[in-house]
Amino acid sequence: MGHMVARLMKVWVMVSLRAAQSQLLTSWAGILFLIGKIVRFLLFFVFLFAVLGSAKNLAGYNPQQVILFFLVFNLVDISIQFLFRGVYQFRPLVVSGNYDLDLLKPLPSFFRPIFGWTDILDFFTLIPLWIYFLWFGFSQGIFKLGNFFLFLALFTSSLVLGFAFHLFTCAVCVLTTEIDHLVWVYRDLTNMARFPTDIYQRGIRLILTFTIPVVILITVPAKALMGILSWQGILGSFFISGLFLWLSLKFWHYALSQYSSASS
Amino acid sequence: MVYRLNFVLWRFRSFVSFLTLFFFWLAIYGSRSEFLGYQKSQMLAYIVGIAVLRSIVLGSRSVDLGGQIRSGELTKIVLRPLGIFSFWFSRDLVDKLLNIFFTFLELAIVLAIFKFPFWFPTRLETYIIFAFMVILATFLYFFLSFVISVLAFWTEEIWATRWLFGVIFLEFFAGAFFPIDVLPSWLQKIIYLTPFPYLVFYPLKIWLEQISGIEAVKAILICFGWLLLFWWLAKNLWQKGAKNYGAYGG
Repeated sequence: MGHMVARLMKVWVMVSLRAAQSQLLTSWAGILFLIGKIVRFLLFFVFLFAVLGSAKNLAGYNPQQVILFFLVFNLVDISIQFLFRGVYQFRPLVVSGNYDLDLLKPLPSFFRPIFGWTDILDFFTLIPLWIYFLWFGFSQGIFKLGNFFLFLALFTSSLVLGFAFHLFTCAVCVLTTEIDHLVWVYRDLTNMARFPTDIYQRGIRLILTFTIPVVILITVPAKALMGILSWQGILGSFFISGLFLWLSLKFWHYALSQYSSASS
Repeated sequence: MVYRLNFVLWRFRSFVSFLTLFFFWLAIYGSRSEFLGYQKSQMLAYIVGIAVLRSIVLGSRSVDLGGQIRSGELTKIVLRPLGIFSFWFSRDLVDKLLNIFFTFLELAIVLAIFKFPFWFPTRLETYIIFAFMVILATFLYFFLSFVISVLAFWTEEIWATRWLFGVIFLEFFAGAFFPIDVLPSWLQKIIYLTPFPYLVFYPLKIWLEQISGIEAVKAILICFGWLLLFWWLAKNLWQKGAKNYGAYGG
């Protein structure tokens, strides 16, 4: 098992390095994307500071906590984009039938669809973000060590959940050849957790917990950091992540059984 | 079937963006009636206005032009006896009409469910100036988007250019997420130097009657100036680019 994981990691690093080379060769586009990502983050940040400077409170959270929600949202969102960027390139593989070639390789069937592309620009964005996040939390005295380790565990659980959802979209793509809008629906719904999800009405919160569980993905790790998460919430989060992973794998294998190798 | 699914998902995405902003501001206002110079009804009208103007002003198909230049598909269009601006503007109009219909339907549902106070202008001339500003903004966005698209004649990185200028800068600087005047004044001054605030922010400020008649006229004149500049740019870049066109893959 350990040997297999190490082998997959090695393949992933090789694929990622090639993706990075390809991106850095088209440096003009890379710079524009990087500027865009930074500008978007900074403008939202300035907006939040400006509004919270006057409001002092959002759904019972103080400005520091709202900023923390925003930072956790960015960490989870960008990490998932960094790791599972392959889904954006999966449709052409299915439509052309070229995915057949990947199925012949001694790799898990989901490797190419999910990990086939890694966005190095997201990695560049993540480094300063993690540094600022740690500085913000520890310098303001918000983070306690126990809560921080719990956050790391729940952050990992969020990545598992992100993987499960991206695998689900790939399965839908195999069945319908449609993926782009579904991924964007996921991104729009996760954007709803840019702010504490407590601002939404109960019905919407339930949708955000049990359909595409963005509450588990972002709100729960943020609350763990603040030390305001119950043990039921913690266990429930791990359970939901595990359940989504199991269901996604089942659905993926079903979708593969229907794969018709369209154009080959 | 796939196209219909795409459209439904696209509408769903627009609706989710609207809901996020709607609930964010509802939470910020709480029991307040006024915040950062906006009455609650004005801010909610601004959020509804964003959804409407996204359909009317920012709804567009001319974004496809860049891809068609790169793929060579443009050849099929330029061989037809059609004016390039009228062809793409017609496509834009159809897209706008489709989106407007569904936007009003979605907003009607939200307004019926939440029954929040909505701001209507008190003066008749406000409706006329607002309508005029929206028409100008629609043309301004068309030519601005066209200019970004025709850059595809010279660069392969058209998606990155559009994402930065046609999505990130556009949405933040146009006021399509939040009113520009809630930001710090130093940032506002920079944003007012760009054409973007005339697409969403100023039309909505006119609707909310938060700017005087003189300021509204000034906004219209500046918007018209930007419109002329981008019309000139679009015309000239198209002419230069068409000579440069290699019809790759066409």
